Amino acid sequence: MAVLGIPILEDLYPSTMDMWPLEAKEFNRNWQFYENLKQGRLTTTKCKGCGLVSYPPRVICPECYSEDLEYVDLPKKGKVIVFSEEVKGVPLGFQSPLIHAVIDLGVDPARRVLSRIVNCAAGTLKRGDEVQLAVFEVPALPIDKGKLGTVMSERVFFAFEPVKK
Amino acid sequence: MARNAVILAGGQCKWGVREAHLVDLFQEAAKACFNDIPTLKPKDVDGLIVASSYAGRCSFQVNTAPVIAERVGVKPTSICTRCDTLCAGGSTGIILATGLVQAGAADIVMVAGGEKLYTPQKWEVFYSELASVDHDWDGVHGMGLPPPFFALTAQEHMMHYGSTKEQLAAVSVANYNYAATNPVAQMQKNLTLEEAMNAPVVVPPLTLYDCCPITDGAAVCIITTDEIARKFTDRPLVYIRGTAQVCLNSVSANFPGAHLADWMHTKMAGEKAYARAKVGPGDIKVAQTHDCFSISEVIEVEELGFCKKGEGGDFCGSKQIEIGGKVPVNTDGGLLACGHPFGATGIRQGIEVMKQLQGRARHQVKDADIALTHNLSGANAEHTILIYGREPVK
Repeated sequence: MAVLGIPILEDLYPSTMDMWPLEAKEFNRNWQFYENLKQGRLTTTKCKGCGLVSYPPRVICPECYSEDLEYVDLPKKGKVIVFSEEVKGVPLGFQSPLIHAVIDLGVDPARRVLSRIVNCAAGTLKRGDEVQLAVFEVPALPIDKGKLGTVMSERVFFAFEPVKK
Repeated sequence: MARNAVILAGGQCKWGVREAHLVDLFQEAAKACFNDIPTLKPKDVDGLIVASSYAGRCSFQVNTAPVIAERVGVKPTSICTRCDTLCAGGSTGIILATGLVQAGAADIVMVAGGEKLYTPQKWEVFYSELASVDHDWDGVHGMGLPPPFFALTAQEHMMHYGSTKEQLAAVSVANYNYAATNPVAQMQKNLTLEEAMNAPVVVPPLTLYDCCPITDGAAVCIITTDEIARKFTDRPLVYIRGTAQVCLNSVSANFPGAHLADWMHTKMAGEKAYARAKVGPGDIKVAQTHDCFSISEVIEVEELGFCKKGEGGDFCGSKQIEIGGKVPVNTDGGLLACGHPFGATGIRQGIEVMKQLQGRARHQVKDADIALTHNLSGANAEHTILIYGREPVK
């Protein structure tokens, strides 16, 4: 695969141009969030010390600074409060229509989560519609393991999609 | 006893799609700044604060301050650093310079902001915008380019307060018309309400003129003390009376307002800046607010107290933001028409209010003595306010 104008980058992976999170354990102490996502679970961290549920997940509690946190499940269904639809001029990495919605998952701190809406034709979404978690594969992360060579670490990410009526 | 900080001079290069390198733009802006104050020489400057957020991504240059110092011919001895608060970088630089000169840690500080955003391949800057918001939690949802976020904001303002598309268009018309004669603005043309209403759709309800463009550009100003300033100029001095910078969230899910059109963090920043400046919203004679989108200006005039919450649409739609109105806003054209090279914008705003308070602005507000500048940055994650005046806080 050629890189236009930069021959030395042929077949190399620049993480500074990766639109997806570096989800692997080697690069992210919140790797469990993505492992849970692979099981179809949307999770975040709860502090065992003060009880605060934070979104997105943390490695320390922002309230009491405890490191004793656990993953808890967030609801997988929510309601669309408001949404926007971009049909033309969608940026690289996304397909038209690029739909964004503020979703109420019904519990704190996820009463106004901003997410992409996928599997939805332009002009069909309405305020108040029910949406559900949609997990999808994204390109694997190529990690240089020295003598072992490059290991591909599988990745997923999430959006929401309309619940079929 | 703390010293009083003033903005002594400033200048900017031509903003727009520029056939130039990032460091070229900084040099042009520095020259424009020294042209504004011929008695001041580069050797007089002892501090440099550079505001640039995209130098790392679009110009492959980090640790930007020494690079810029060398190119513009200053040799800092008190401070030489860069700050990155995206759209508020220039204002952040002025706040930091103010603190340094008030404390006596620096005497004459150059605050220089700039971005080169048009890359040889057009996709790159748009793609890099994924870094402008929280990369892993908002950028990844395609929220890097801001029109969808502000389209949601506009929809919620319309839902909760009944503002209209025509009121949004009135902001674009006012700001374009302010910039029509501004020789350094990116968009130098008059705009009619009809043109604004019939413009191509970006993300509904936002259309072309509701959105600020992508811009290459730089701006430079000088912050010093009143005593030092008097050695260099006979112009009226413009004091930095009060500042505030409020950040309550980064990820959009943690937005602090009840909805996206409730900018309680803007209000909080305003209240703090007003208290420090010992003035109130009624004292502001001219303001430069962050009109990255027309809807932003509508909400800002509310949260800054120029009108009641929810009445920003009426305020802007009834010409209160124009010369002769209650508070003329973005009198040089704002982000919508001047363009928005992120780190340079706050400096552009500071230069415009300096000229207003010195009585030498292109669209002069009569008897202007107190002025305000405001920036929002990120996915509406931070608000930065400075209040300038003809007199120091007593």
